Amino acid sequence: METLGFLMDGFAVALQPENLMYALLGAFLGTLIGALPGLGPANGVAILIPLAFTLGLRPETALIMLTAVYAGAMYGGRISSILLNIPGDEPAMMTCLDGYPMAQQGKAAEALAISAVASFMGSLIATIGLILLAPILANFALTFGPAEYFALFLLAFATLGGITGKNPMKTVVAACIGLMIATVGIDNTGVQRFTFGVLELYEGVDFIIAIVGLFAISELLFFIEDKAGGGKEKMTVNKLKLSWADIRGIMPSSFRGGVLGFIAGVLPGAGASLGSFIGYTLEKKVVGKKGYFGQGDPRGVAGPEAGNNGASSGALVPMLTLGVPGSGTTAVLLALLISLNITPGPLMFTQNADIVWGVIAALLIGNFLLLVLNIPLVGIFVRLLSVPPMYLLPIVTMVAFVGIYSISNTTFDLYFMVAFGVAGYVLRKLEIPLVPVILGLLLGPEMEKNLRHALDISDGDWSTLWNSGLAIGLWVFAGMGLILPYIVGPILRRRMNSAIKETPTAD
Amino acid sequence: MTSLNDRIFGVVMIVLAIAYGWGASQLPEPFGGSEAVGPETFPILLAVVLGLSSLYMVVRPDPDNAWPWSRTCVELVIAVVVLVLYAMLLQPLGFIVSTLLAVGTLCWRMGARPLNAFITGGVAGVVVFLLFNFALNLALPLGLLDFLEVS
Repeated sequence: METLGFLMDGFAVALQPENLMYALLGAFLGTLIGALPGLGPANGVAILIPLAFTLGLRPETALIMLTAVYAGAMYGGRISSILLNIPGDEPAMMTCLDGYPMAQQGKAAEALAISAVASFMGSLIATIGLILLAPILANFALTFGPAEYFALFLLAFATLGGITGKNPMKTVVAACIGLMIATVGIDNTGVQRFTFGVLELYEGVDFIIAIVGLFAISELLFFIEDKAGGGKEKMTVNKLKLSWADIRGIMPSSFRGGVLGFIAGVLPGAGASLGSFIGYTLEKKVVGKKGYFGQGDPRGVAGPEAGNNGASSGALVPMLTLGVPGSGTTAVLLALLISLNITPGPLMFTQNADIVWGVIAALLIGNFLLLVLNIPLVGIFVRLLSVPPMYLLPIVTMVAFVGIYSISNTTFDLYFMVAFGVAGYVLRKLEIPLVPVILGLLLGPEMEKNLRHALDISDGDWSTLWNSGLAIGLWVFAGMGLILPYIVGPILRRRMNSAIKETPTAD
Repeated sequence: MTSLNDRIFGVVMIVLAIAYGWGASQLPEPFGGSEAVGPETFPILLAVVLGLSSLYMVVRPDPDNAWPWSRTCVELVIAVVVLVLYAMLLQPLGFIVSTLLAVGTLCWRMGARPLNAFITGGVAGVVVFLLFNFALNLALPLGLLDFLEVS
């Protein structure tokens, strides 16, 4: 019941006209970013963070806007999957399987509408799950001491590659790089570390600059290398002919996908890709031979879309309650929280209750906005898809420049951003994941602080780090997070690939 | 020799780990004497973990991704140079002119017709400038176009 009261307060925050306006703006921009091929949710949120700062928004407003961008980007990803057969990001891959065939049969509008409804259902279910689960988890997390937190951070790094990830050792390397960058600056005993006397480094490396560089600038370089994005054949969207019976037909699929997606999102290391994949496989199992999957079955659109969106809302649970993000985009949102001087974690639920619940309420409102926005306005987004990336990416790069420049009004940060962009390009080439780098940058200071506390309490006895049952449990899970990808990863990847190959494509 | 990338990167990272760990061990003791965890403890821990995981990359590397040699490489270098110049010239030339040049060049190098490319750059520069200076009240540098300033 207490939760309900908080949620009501949250609605009071989210429904303020200013916040509502920014939620709408965020939802619109997010859908746009998600729809454009080559720009995923993480890039989109990363580029918009500096702008949110320069706008001088209040913390809750900034957070509400960027949560709406996040939700919108997850919605938008399906548009290019369905119309162009190009998934905007990995989780949108499964939507191509039945979405694109539907579009080829002249049912693009139906596919878009169905996916919008399914996305809405998935997000709604997951948001309700978030409301129920988050306070419980936050309460539980209050019992964590510094040793448990240290182990928890290790768990976050270990599972970040995900069980579908390729080489867990590369995740470790990436995390180390991020943590090392985080040690630059003056540490809390007042000693300068790795500043080389450069004044700009005394405060450490600003992770916003690192994030924008790693995501936005490296994306530009990748595009130059591929040059693939030329004008794909433009799909025309037919007039929508969708009956209530059609919507009712996909409801069970959306429900199943949403629940599965939420679970996949909450679990560390699973994430949206797995959410949409199991959403699709379950549909195939449940419907069985009666379905015509791969040839434009609406349930094959609804299942993965609900799973995808359910997972992305589910990923907010560990991020908000433990301060440990489960995906790239939630890592970027975590960066936003830290730079707003809000420490995510269990204490946030007591200390910044208005902000947490405001955001959760905004997520609910955002989903309604997105549904309303998506069905009638889908034509606008479709038209924007025809903007050739050769114009789009330079402009996005410029927006990144403006955003970073207007934080500090110095050019030093811009050089830094470009350097991070080049580094990001090289790392991506070597298949070293970027998200652990960012997470290392973000969590480094907290991690060191907890290590310090734990060892101070125990007078320098390192065994204190695995002295409680809970801490041991976290260490074991972290170990599993590193070992499982070697065992389960190849099997899962093979299944995902064969699911895609099995489906006849008309290309 | 198909896994050279990971090997080279692994070796570079080992060197980095050693340099970083050595640097950490040279850090001065904080004022007030030593504690259980000094400023060097965490970095040394990181150096060890990075060294070991990089060693693994050297021993068991993944197959390589192709690097873009030749023409694409030139294009990439051009792009990076443009970005660095953009940062360098932002203040002296002003936002509009430098954006016109930077975005225009990037669009053009990515395959747009030169005229269209520079028109895109100019329009983007002017629109964002007006938006920032008037709608958002954030001053972007005018640079060469200083004479246009209306108080």
